[in-house]
Amino acid sequence: MMGKGGEAAASAQHKEENEEEGDMVGVVKLISAEGFEFVIDKKAAMVSNTLRNMLTSPGGFAETREGEVRFPEISTAILEKICQYFYWSLHYASGKETAEFPIEPEITLELMMAANYLDT
Amino acid sequence: MAASSSSASASVAGNAGEQRLLDRCIDAAARCPASVEAWRRQRRSLERLPSQLADALLRRLAARRLLFPSLLEVFRHSVQEIDLSGDIAVDAEWLAYLGSFRYLGVLKLADCKKVDHSAIWSLSGMSMLKELDLSRCSKITDAGIKHIVSIDSLEKLHLSETGLTDNGVMLISALKGLILLDLGGIHMTDKALRSLQVLTQLEHLDVWGSEITDEGASVLKAFTGLRFLNVSWTHVTRLPHLPNMKYLNMSNCTIYSICGGDSEVHIPLQKFTASAASFGDIDEVFSSIVASSFSFLDMSGCSLSNLYGLQKMKSLEHLDISLNRVTDDAMEYVANIGMKLRYLSLKNTGITSQALCILAGTVPNLASLSLAYTKIDDSALVYISMMPSLRVIDLSHTTIKGFTRVEANSEKIPSLPLLEHLIYLESLNLEDAPLSDEVIPPMASFRALKYLYLKSDFLSDPGLHALSSASNLIHLGFCGSVLSNSGLLEFVPPAQLHVLDLSGCWILTGDAISTFRRHHPSIEVRHELTQELQPNRGSTSQVHKSRQLPRAKTKVVNSSADSRRHSGIFFVDQRIKYSREEMMEIQEHTQPNSVLHVVPLPPELRRME
Repeated sequence: MMGKGGEAAASAQHKEENEEEGDMVGVVKLISAEGFEFVIDKKAAMVSNTLRNMLTSPGGFAETREGEVRFPEISTAILEKICQYFYWSLHYASGKETAEFPIEPEITLELMMAANYLDT
Repeated sequence: MAASSSSASASVAGNAGEQRLLDRCIDAAARCPASVEAWRRQRRSLERLPSQLADALLRRLAARRLLFPSLLEVFRHSVQEIDLSGDIAVDAEWLAYLGSFRYLGVLKLADCKKVDHSAIWSLSGMSMLKELDLSRCSKITDAGIKHIVSIDSLEKLHLSETGLTDNGVMLISALKGLILLDLGGIHMTDKALRSLQVLTQLEHLDVWGSEITDEGASVLKAFTGLRFLNVSWTHVTRLPHLPNMKYLNMSNCTIYSICGGDSEVHIPLQKFTASAASFGDIDEVFSSIVASSFSFLDMSGCSLSNLYGLQKMKSLEHLDISLNRVTDDAMEYVANIGMKLRYLSLKNTGITSQALCILAGTVPNLASLSLAYTKIDDSALVYISMMPSLRVIDLSHTTIKGFTRVEANSEKIPSLPLLEHLIYLESLNLEDAPLSDEVIPPMASFRALKYLYLKSDFLSDPGLHALSSASNLIHLGFCGSVLSNSGLLEFVPPAQLHVLDLSGCWILTGDAISTFRRHHPSIEVRHELTQELQPNRGSTSQVHKSRQLPRAKTKVVNSSADSRRHSGIFFVDQRIKYSREEMMEIQEHTQPNSVLHVVPLPPELRRME
């Protein structure tokens, strides 16, 4: 899981070097209840309206400056699923391709609450 | 929180647009009994579930018939709103669980036929319940009311068409916080209504079909906050002055006065339903309404011949004067107040095409027009084409033929192309108008047309074929025609078509209809014979199989057969004219639209009454 997070960070950093500075560029670190860190593209995090508000509101949140958001209520497994959804959503948002986003019935309740909190 | 609750409600509204993760979760949780088992023991999560999520999940489970009494228990701490209306399984066992829901605010059990007074007993003593709907639970009697009146928190109570009597109604006076009380269809008398005087918070009172008279109606004065009142099908003729009344229904009453007989006072009525009512002095009744906010009037079946009383009602948006004796002379009054009109029904009145001539140009916002059962003919179409906002037109049971003649023996001039000017026209009803095949083709080019209803003995194969190019058509009625089997099988349906109504096409055989259905599985075909065909068709899985089999063979056919080769040969059976690829192509065309099966038709697009 850490490996995955690292990979995402590496690819994101690579991107950062190439792209210009802007609101959608860069990475953000999401930290689960257990302290696991997921580094994802800001663009992906924007799928969540809650994160979008945090990251775009001028100077409001400490999260904006430090680029990391803690979720003491969201477990690692759920946060990973959420991150997968962000990227899945980015990929399929255009609507041209379709694929089912798999949700295991065991995690539906927890994921539902996290999705509700993140407004996604 | 506000945003999330709206998303939860959106998830129930349907799958329109892009689905959010939240909706996907609810969907996955309520997929099948096995998925329910996967989460139902997660007690800690269930207790933490925000109420709007719990409500949405429960609604989804109920809609998919996955609920059962002991499953209800897991929602005990989270759910605030439950709607089990129409679920005939709901009985005392269900209510025993529901009675323990601590935060339940809304409970809807309309049409739950097994709910009786002993089942209701579980609900007594609920402390948060604000709304209870027991409409049409016919087993609820006065004994059941005793349990309900112990719920002090109630604000909305629906008891229409239950087994209540005066004695039960009088008990309701204990519920001082009531804002809405629906007692429609109960044989209550003035005595019971008088006992309800103490309910001064009432804003909505429904007592249709009761034994109430003018004497009881005078009691309504006590309800100064009343905004909605339904006294239809009662003996009430005079209402006291109710200063805040916005919605009034006095259908099937004799109406003398709606504001205590005082000509000085006015009531800010917005919506007045008075179908099949008779009036004392109609002008006096209407003069007591504040015209500037009056937007909805239903006076169908009132035997009126004069519309003089309408002349000040310039804010009307909805006007139904069907089944009246009005003639062309009265149209002047409608034209006068036409500016804001969006809906107008002149169905079954004495008007002729001349009436449309008067209306043309005065109704810029009119979206829906019904002229069914009137004496209008093709000459009306030119005036109708001058009503630019029309979306729905009902011309059924008229003498519209689709063409006009300048003189008796001169050439036919098609009249339906005139309607092409109506760029928003979505629904056109021409049932039982004497149309023949030759006048159908222009309708295929009405750009926005989605619903077309035709029914005529003179229609046959060419008429149906002409509609193949009506690209936006969703519903096509082609009833009572002399459509032949080969005509049906040759028909290439428009890509969007979802329903093809062939009722009364008496020449068609069951074989032809089932062949057509096999070729176009996404189209719902309606015909008298389809009832018999249903069992033969078997389950849906069989349909899928039959759809996939030819597809598997397509590749083989591709390499060997060439459809062009067959051109020029005369086919006795039109079905073999198409190569398998062509058939498949037609099928592919229709498949993406199977989505339409789940999309409910918007009410305004449905057939006009």
